[in-house]
Amino acid sequence: MGAWRHFPIFMITVPLLGAVLLPFLGYAKERWVPYVALLPLGASTLLGILLIGRIPSGGYLSYHMGGWEPPFGIEIRLDYVGLFLMLVVCGITFLALIYSRRYIDKEVSPGRRTAYYVLYLLMSGAMLGFVATGDIFNLFVFMEILALSSYALVAITGNRNAVRAAFKYILMGAPSSIIVLLAIGLLYSVTGTLNMADLARRIAESGYTEVLIVSYILLVVGFGVKAALFPLHMWLPDAHSIAPSPISALLSGLLVEVCTFALVRITFSVFTLGATDLVMGTADAVGVAAAAAVLYGGIMAILQKDLKMMIAYSTVSHIGYIFLGLTAFTAEGLTGAMYHMLDHGLAKACLFLCAGNFIYMKGYRRIEDLKGAWSQMPWTCFAFALASISVIGIPPTAGFISKWYLILGNVEGGKWLYAVVLLAGSILAAVYCFRILYYMFFQAGKEGAWEESWHDAPPAMLAPVWVLSLATLFFGVFSSLLIPSLLRAAAYLL
Amino acid sequence: MKRVAALLFIAALAVLLLYVVSRMPPMGDPETPTATHVIPRYLEKAEEETHTVNVITGVILNYRGYDTMGEVTVIFCALAAVLAVLGRERRGVIHGFVDRSEVPSSTIVRTMVRFIVPFIILFSVYTILHGETSPGGGFQGGAIIGGSMIIFTTIFGLYESSRRIPLKVRAPLEGAAVMGFFLVGTLGLVGGGNFLTYAWPRVAQDLHPSLVVWLTVLVEVGIGLGGAMVLTSILFAMIREEEEIATVS
Repeated sequence: MGAWRHFPIFMITVPLLGAVLLPFLGYAKERWVPYVALLPLGASTLLGILLIGRIPSGGYLSYHMGGWEPPFGIEIRLDYVGLFLMLVVCGITFLALIYSRRYIDKEVSPGRRTAYYVLYLLMSGAMLGFVATGDIFNLFVFMEILALSSYALVAITGNRNAVRAAFKYILMGAPSSIIVLLAIGLLYSVTGTLNMADLARRIAESGYTEVLIVSYILLVVGFGVKAALFPLHMWLPDAHSIAPSPISALLSGLLVEVCTFALVRITFSVFTLGATDLVMGTADAVGVAAAAAVLYGGIMAILQKDLKMMIAYSTVSHIGYIFLGLTAFTAEGLTGAMYHMLDHGLAKACLFLCAGNFIYMKGYRRIEDLKGAWSQMPWTCFAFALASISVIGIPPTAGFISKWYLILGNVEGGKWLYAVVLLAGSILAAVYCFRILYYMFFQAGKEGAWEESWHDAPPAMLAPVWVLSLATLFFGVFSSLLIPSLLRAAAYLL
Repeated sequence: MKRVAALLFIAALAVLLLYVVSRMPPMGDPETPTATHVIPRYLEKAEEETHTVNVITGVILNYRGYDTMGEVTVIFCALAAVLAVLGRERRGVIHGFVDRSEVPSSTIVRTMVRFIVPFIILFSVYTILHGETSPGGGFQGGAIIGGSMIIFTTIFGLYESSRRIPLKVRAPLEGAAVMGFFLVGTLGLVGGGNFLTYAWPRVAQDLHPSLVVWLTVLVEVGIGLGGAMVLTSILFAMIREEEEIATVS
């Protein structure tokens, strides 16, 4: 055991420390804040990259906080899937932060910019801690930081619509936090422990069936709101479309996935062992909701007139995809779900940042206005096209790989109907994506809407967009880098 | 119709939850899972293992210190959220306080507040420093300082109180709690243990108890200072907002 054992805890705490030190800098030299904010996230990303290959796909790293062995102390339990998701979080938050500087300078008033970067770092650190923890109450603590910072980031532009969307988000989010806390309390009352691995053992021996059933259902509902699972998604379209674009990218590309992952952890590392029937029964209901989400999100996305609204509804649909992969209870389905978290994160972040480019350069939000965008902003349009192809699931992008495994997993699990729903969802995605691509590339814009010469967004905004869209291509072509290990890790989870 | 449906839903939820509570292990029974699994060790060994007489402090700062580190981050995050929505008072430009109340505060009130606030702060220092031996600690002490600032600001106004705790003092100290935890955590790591270890195996087999107590107090002081500054900053941000609204209307 070398020094790398300590890396995860620094990946989590360094962004948090950076966040508390930033106001000091913001007080002295506000201009430097966007650059300095990159340091802690860069450090986290570096530590995460150094961890690659250290954790086998069947094993895990257990780190006892303060040297107290669980269940007396808090444990960080990082398995292969957890590290995978932590790296996705690090990468996307880092890219969106590079993107933020220009965009935020335009959208957010000077007095609030430091607060933006502080909240951004808090949210990133909290997501990392949320994924890595092996303690159910610690999960709640990080969820609080995550929720609080995301409410504020939605409202940060301070205009009426933003505040209203954030308030709607709080109205859904705060009760869901309370529900999760209540469920954790119920679990503690019948097991006397908060450590996830210990909980799994104690639940198997526990005689308090009713309490366990209700606490599991409350956890599914609570995290379901956070993950925006249909029909608990009402807050999502407003919040995701009105937030500043880098924040939309984080909310849509990471936050909902991370909250889904919490449910994965609770289901597979806590409840499956001792309460299999309960998990299976709930999964049937969740599967129906997820299938409805795929279709509803897709249809609503087609009906939207606002670009960011459309992308937000597409997220509702894709959360359904991830949940359908989970409810299949096969290694392929789980692998598909995990890989979908990666490629949906990359593609959605890219789409939102592209939409941000249009808003930044032209102030255009409506889909209609994108007619002929190609003539002025070709780089943004190409990146948008590549990410859209991944969202639809056309080879050779990563979207194809994940959808392939999702469908395979559902077929293996004997759920033919869901496999058909997944295909139908892709057709819907094709409808809403190709419409925009058709507008961008093949239709002439209104007179004077676009300049004839190429005048694209500044490089600091184009580079993150292109890295994200090329990453969807990379993980599509070189999927063999990850898929075998993910399959093994999934088999281990089941 | 909507209202009736909502009421029915809430009633059903209440019945369900009450039923679950009735099925929970009885309160106070020594045989319940909570009383037999983790808690006995905390109660029997905390003093010996964490060197804090107050078991609660031992649990929240030592056994589960990482959770508390998260909680103080939540408090800091609340401040950042308030500042994101309302904005901070700008450097050098603090709006003078206009007393719009019907009854101006009397000399008696002013004298009493001026007299009593130092004692409140003294008491909060006591609360913070005695967290490891008696009920109290950083959170409580910080809240008491925050409360004293609310009293002071209500009577003397934002201008007077923000001159006493100016932004250049608050800005670095707002995150004191997280910094304290990070410092002690890293010290534990350098000392050869894991993050947030209060014993340093690389330095000595058994660390002198008073050093552990001092580390605990350091964390407590960080929590207290950070909490106090966060509460004060939130208060100031909200006052400024009210005055802006008042000038518009």
